[in-house]
Amino acid sequence: MDALYRLEADKLDIFLQSLGPDIYAPVKTDAIRFQKISSVKEADLTALADVPVKDFFFRQREQLFKFTKGKIATEIKDAPFRIFFGLRRCDLNAVKHQDFIFIEKYKDPYYTAQRKNTLLFGYHCDEALNKYCFCGSMGLEEYHDIMFFDKKKYFLLNPGSKVGQKIVSEAKLKRAGTLKKKDTIPKGTDRLEKKDISKLFENSLWEKGADECLSCSACTSLCPTCYCHEVKDDVKLSDLKSGERTREWSSCQLKSFTRVAGEHVFREKRVDRFKHRIYHQLVYFKERYGVNMCVGCGRCITHCPTTIDFVSLINKMK
Amino acid sequence: MKADYLPQSVKVLQKRDESADTFTLRLGMKVDHDPGQFIQVSIPGIGEAPISISSYSKDYLEISIRKVGNVTNALHGVKKGSSLFVRGPYGRGYQMSKLKGKGIVFIGGGCGVAPLKGAIEYVEKNRKDFKEIDLFLGFRSPGDILFTSRHKDWENHFNVHMSVDQIPSKTCYSGNVGFITDTLNKTPIQAKGTVAFICGPPIMMTKSIQLLAAKGFKDTQIYVSEEKLMYCAFGLCCHCMDKGNLTCLDGPVFRYDEIVRSRDGKA
Repeated sequence: MDALYRLEADKLDIFLQSLGPDIYAPVKTDAIRFQKISSVKEADLTALADVPVKDFFFRQREQLFKFTKGKIATEIKDAPFRIFFGLRRCDLNAVKHQDFIFIEKYKDPYYTAQRKNTLLFGYHCDEALNKYCFCGSMGLEEYHDIMFFDKKKYFLLNPGSKVGQKIVSEAKLKRAGTLKKKDTIPKGTDRLEKKDISKLFENSLWEKGADECLSCSACTSLCPTCYCHEVKDDVKLSDLKSGERTREWSSCQLKSFTRVAGEHVFREKRVDRFKHRIYHQLVYFKERYGVNMCVGCGRCITHCPTTIDFVSLINKMK
Repeated sequence: MKADYLPQSVKVLQKRDESADTFTLRLGMKVDHDPGQFIQVSIPGIGEAPISISSYSKDYLEISIRKVGNVTNALHGVKKGSSLFVRGPYGRGYQMSKLKGKGIVFIGGGCGVAPLKGAIEYVEKNRKDFKEIDLFLGFRSPGDILFTSRHKDWENHFNVHMSVDQIPSKTCYSGNVGFITDTLNKTPIQAKGTVAFICGPPIMMTKSIQLLAAKGFKDTQIYVSEEKLMYCAFGLCCHCMDKGNLTCLDGPVFRYDEIVRSRDGKA
C-alpha cells in the first residue's frame, strides 16, 4: 500500500461529492470541529481540529438500553455511510486505538454501529501544526482509507485499504510514484525524549505540573483516545418507571471518578489524578495491550487553560 | 471479553436483615463462580452497583449489602418474590482449589466480612482440603455483628475470634471489645503453610498486613479484596483502575505482591 495517485486540486470537490452525500471535514465555527460539508471550500485545513472525531463513534452520551416497567430493550442503529476528510495522522491513529479497544478487544456493539460505515480520509501534515505536537514520538502507524498529500496544485493520494484502492481505481487516477516511509512522518514532532516514564513516578516535577492544574477536565474531554466512561440511569418524569441506561464520558481528573460509598476518594490529591491520566496514556495501556494510547496530538496541552506542557515536564525529569 | 451492559432478570428467593443497616438477598441464580467474585446488581431507574457474592452454593447466590447509597437503599426495599436485574459474576475471586492443603486466616471488618463469607462457606463444604482455619471478625458495635446465625457452625469447625470496637451504653454484650487487629496481634499463628484473606476498611487492611508481615507472612501469602468505584465490570470504563491494575478484571481479589507497587508509590 505505498502507491501514489495524482488528483488535480480543482477536482477534489467533485471527487469527494461523487462518493456520497455525507462528507465531514474540519470547519471553523466557534472552534474547528468536524461537521458535514457541501463543498470542500468550507473545510479549514490550516490547523489541527480543536475537537477530535471521537464523539462520532464513541458518543459522549450513548443509550445502552431502554427500560419500561421491568422490561429492557436495546435499540442499536447503524450510522449511515460517512466519509471523514481532513484527519491528521494523530487523529487517524486515535481512531485506530479506539477501534482496537472497542471493536477488537470488546466487540462493543454501540461503537461498532457508529463506526462501521465510515471511511477515513487523511490529510498529511508536512510539519508540526503547532509547537505542542509530538506525534513523531509516539510510534504512529498508517491507518487510513486514503491519505491526501497536499501539493497545492494537485494532491497525491495514497490508498491504505481495499476500499481506498477501489475508489482510486474507479476514479481512474493516474499513478504518480511511490510513497517513502520518511515522507509519512511530519517534521519537528519528535518532542517527547523519554519513551519510558515508568520509573519517574516519584519525580518531584509532577507536583509542579499539578500545581498549575485546575482539575477542569478539558484534557480528557478533548483527548481523541480517552475512553473512560460512567453508566447511569435516567427516568421519565411522567411515570418514573420507564427510561434509559446510558454511558457517558467521564474524567479521571475529577474526584468523583474514584468516589465510593462513605465518600472515600482513592485519588484525593490533584497530583495523583494528574499523574494517573498521563500514566494511563503512556504506561498502563501499553503494559496491558502493547501499544501507547496517546497519539501526541497535543490537544491536552493547547486546550489546557494553564497550558501544562507535560511533554517538556517529562523531558526535564532526571 | 465482550462489552455487554445488558442485565438479566432474577428472582429474589429470600431476604433477611443482618443488622440495622445490612441485609442479605438470596437470588435464584445458579452459576459457577469463585468466592470473592462480584455481580452487578441494578434497579432500572435507580442505577447499578457492584456487590460481592457472600455465599457458596450451586443452588442460589447470596449478596449481603449495607445501605450506604441510592442503589443499596433501593435494594433494601426489594421484597421476596420480586425481581432484580443482575450481570455477572465478574472478576477474579479466591482461587480455592489452588490453595488445597493450606491453612487460612480470614480477617474481615464490618461489611468486608461479606466477600469472605463465600470463601468460608467453600471451606465448610471442603473442610478436609484445608488445615487450620482462623476467623478474625471485627465489627463496630454488638448491633453491627453480621451473619450471627452462622456463628455456631463456624465455631464448630474453625477458631473464631470476634470483637467489637465499642459497646454503646445500655447494651448487653459479653464478648471481646477492641479492634480485631489487636486480637490478631495477640494470637499466635503459624505462617508456614498458611495464607491470609483480608477484607475490610482500608486502615484495617493496612494494619493487618503489617501484623501478618511481623508474624512471618510473605506478600505472596496474603490476599486482599479491594473496593473501587466501577461501572462496566469488564475492564472498559477504567474507573476501577489503580496503578494499571483493573480491579474488576485483575481483582477484586489480589495477591498482595501483585499490588504492593500501588502502595509504595511506584508506577
